[in-house]
Amino acid sequence: MSTLLKVVDLKKYFPVRGGMFHRVVAHVKAVDGVSFELKKGRTLGLVGESGCGKSTLGRAVLRLHEPTSGQIILNGDDLMTLDRQALTAHRRQMQIIFQDPYASLSPRRTIAQTIQEPLDVHKIGTPREREKKVEELLDVVGLRKQVLSRYPHEFSGGQRQRIGIARSLALNPNFIVADEPVSALDVSVQSQVLNLIARLQREHGISFLFISHDLAVIQHVSDDVGVMYLGRLVELASADDLYRQPRHPYTKALMSAIPVPDPNKKSKRIILSGDVPSPMNPPPGCPFHTRCPDAMPRCKEALPPRINVGSEDRPHFVDCHLFAEESAT
Amino acid sequence: MSSGHTAPLLSVRNLVVEFSTRYGPVRAVDDISFDVYPNETVGIVGESGCGKTVTGLTLLRLIPMPPGRIVQGSIEFDGRDLTKLSEKDLQEMRGSDISMIFQEPMTALNPVFSVGNQMIDVLRRHKNLTRGQARELAINMLDTVGIPAPRKRIDEYPHQMSGGMRQRVMIAMALSCGPKLLIADEPTTALDVTTQAQVMEQIVKLQDEFHMSMILVTHDLGVVAESCDRAIVMYCGNIIETAAIDDLFHKPQHPYTRGLLDSIPRIREERITELPIIRGMVPDLLHLPDGCRFADRCPRATAECRQDKPVVKIDPVTGNGVACYHPMG
Amino acid sequence: MSSVAPEQVVDQTVVNDGSADRESIWAKAVYKLRRDRLGMIGLSVVLLYFIVALGVWLGIWATQWGDVEGPKWAPMSSEYWFGTNIIGQDIFARAIYSTKTAFEVGLVVAVLSTIIGALLGALAGFFSGTWIDEIILWFKGVLDSIPFYLFVAAVAFALSGNPYAMHIAMVSTFWTTTGRLVRGEVIKLKNFEFVEAARAIGVPQVTIIFRHILPNTFHILLVQATIVFVAAIKSEVILSFLGLGVQDGVSWGLMIAESTQEVLAGFFSNFVWASVFLFGLVMAFNMFSDALQDALDPRKVASE
Repeated sequence: MSTLLKVVDLKKYFPVRGGMFHRVVAHVKAVDGVSFELKKGRTLGLVGESGCGKSTLGRAVLRLHEPTSGQIILNGDDLMTLDRQALTAHRRQMQIIFQDPYASLSPRRTIAQTIQEPLDVHKIGTPREREKKVEELLDVVGLRKQVLSRYPHEFSGGQRQRIGIARSLALNPNFIVADEPVSALDVSVQSQVLNLIARLQREHGISFLFISHDLAVIQHVSDDVGVMYLGRLVELASADDLYRQPRHPYTKALMSAIPVPDPNKKSKRIILSGDVPSPMNPPPGCPFHTRCPDAMPRCKEALPPRINVGSEDRPHFVDCHLFAEESAT
Repeated sequence: MSSGHTAPLLSVRNLVVEFSTRYGPVRAVDDISFDVYPNETVGIVGESGCGKTVTGLTLLRLIPMPPGRIVQGSIEFDGRDLTKLSEKDLQEMRGSDISMIFQEPMTALNPVFSVGNQMIDVLRRHKNLTRGQARELAINMLDTVGIPAPRKRIDEYPHQMSGGMRQRVMIAMALSCGPKLLIADEPTTALDVTTQAQVMEQIVKLQDEFHMSMILVTHDLGVVAESCDRAIVMYCGNIIETAAIDDLFHKPQHPYTRGLLDSIPRIREERITELPIIRGMVPDLLHLPDGCRFADRCPRATAECRQDKPVVKIDPVTGNGVACYHPMG
Repeated sequence: MSSVAPEQVVDQTVVNDGSADRESIWAKAVYKLRRDRLGMIGLSVVLLYFIVALGVWLGIWATQWGDVEGPKWAPMSSEYWFGTNIIGQDIFARAIYSTKTAFEVGLVVAVLSTIIGALLGALAGFFSGTWIDEIILWFKGVLDSIPFYLFVAAVAFALSGNPYAMHIAMVSTFWTTTGRLVRGEVIKLKNFEFVEAARAIGVPQVTIIFRHILPNTFHILLVQATIVFVAAIKSEVILSFLGLGVQDGVSWGLMIAESTQEVLAGFFSNFVWASVFLFGLVMAFNMFSDALQDALDPRKVASE
């Protein structure tokens, strides 16, 4: 299985300006050195709570937020080295689905215009061919073509999400970033949209970077999963391995916190103390040590190394000092 | 679960709440009846538009009237019918007998006043205390809800606190006068999963300490499973099922409840390829069908279902009820 | 036991158009506007004025506004409905003609200043924080700090003789409020996901501004245009006093300015009628503008 996307040490810092002269006084370290690989036709789930940087990461990978440093190698080309024109051409390969169905469609444009726009921008086919393609796309996502001349406000949240998905498919991308695509939808609609996304992946072989805070959703859609905390990936493994045997203390706490819709399964909660530190001032050493139930003195001093507790061909990466000791012996 | 021997704390009968819109009147709550007993937690569950939030707000008459109005029905609390109380009497009750907490702590707290200020305000309104006494009581409450360094925090402003902390402040405010009933409207939806766990634990602990009943309005079945004794499921303004929590989750009777439970993504032992769904969409409140409102989406619907709307039939033995001609299980 | 139906079955019907919150901002606005009595009265009066102006423009009536043929200071009669002024011109005809002038000034200034304000505001907002924004803001600040009438006088002097001096001066200062409002709205809009979506597709920035962002500011632009229209007409009155008003033709402002001497001599007809006409249009337009603003305000609670 070949690698479609390789992200190396990606960082995105937002400058914070203050003082009388609007000088940069600090940085919000939204993404603080993230590396991972995405294989062709697979889905990498990115899970974490608000403020962990997952949404920023999703956008940085597409250069919608300009990364501060790092490499983004898509099909062999480092996106960071491309000029504007080349980047625009590469955009055909990578697209995005947004979280908010109410803000992701242009209110004053019909959905036909919205879905067709990517084709117009990249001048694909004749106008007649583009119209046909739009109809096909609507069909793929389960909407009738009679609705083409309508405006976004005439649709429900679930339908708007489908329109957004149709738009993202227009250019036949290899890779789609799905940023919390079902979080804003009602529960009974979520499963419909999730099934659609899964089907699209099977039928078109698209790779997804699926971002969500919902561990159950992530398990359903992902082949591999990365857990983020305060701008860093703390654990990265195949979905099966992660859910069966989470290693990082944060992952364990996260999994235990999910309310299970079963009154008999009252899980033993790992309650974390304190609040998430500010990304402007991440704690020294391991970012999680301030809340970690297993923190050791070393955790305050140095960033934990990335340890592979799995095997060579089925890696399970954990960024944690607890495992460094084990592997050192 | 209390049944029949103790008198209910709150008794809602045949409540109808209507909103006038330019297309005609819309019944957000269409003839619902339920009871809440002392020391129990009742969940009101459903998706957006089902009427659960309107129900919660109507109990304290917080719905703006116009455009809303209570067409019929009674809300008996402590021997008085809340629908007939004057605004003055209601204000005395709000905060001291019945309290409410909301979803968005940022908008529920006034950003220009310190937290302490707002809490002291509530306390002095309902109890005869000096400023100093109220302040001490407020600090105590903050400590009880698990806010560290309460003596310092009491003078902070909402924006200086995290979402979880603000929510806890709101809980502290709501409980400071020792109400008999707490209405919580999606109290943890806006919070992260790990914070959610903290806050829900806090609420349940306080409920025990204060011998309070709680109505938990939410769409999150996981939260309901973990904290409620009973639950009421609403759909399109009607109650379609009410049951003890174990029964609701393990032996749901209404096809909608069953469909909802099945379609929620949850962490499973084995991954599945396709999530079960409830097909179709929630009907428009302006164009409700005759008969059962779920019939269009129900796999068990018959002609009878489409003709006459089923009403809730309570089983005298279990106390559970369902509005369905073909209940399951 | 829920059925796993193919996606196609799910969305066979589009949501009813009749649903209460599935309406565009404009449809809702029209509905609210029609129920606003004051607003509708205002609109009707404005339309009436507009028809009058149209007639003048087409040469249907008031063509003899400039003729000096009547006796000076004739009283109101069937021949001269409002009487005549100091040099014997028909006040009624002049008042009617001035309606065209008023609309001319109002429309030209409103449309041009709105366009300029929209363009500069959108650029400043979209590129906020960069040098483009800084320059436009600086420019705006400079214009805002010059007293209006001084500025107009300077422009009129610089372009002396040019019949559009006044219009140019007005447009140069009135665009700033629109610009500020549009800038604020664009700053808000550019963070919306549909703008990110356009960037993700590769839409060039300028196209994003015109295709996606500006159309969402039209409700602001419309209200601002009506406000500027009224401001232009009112400003013209003062400018006429300063001799900087319309140079060819007549306006209410000019009539009022001319009438100062007549009033001192005890003849009020010129003054009164020009004022009444002016007041009527301004008041009506203000009422309509307020109603329009209320109708387009997305946050107003509908108390229907």
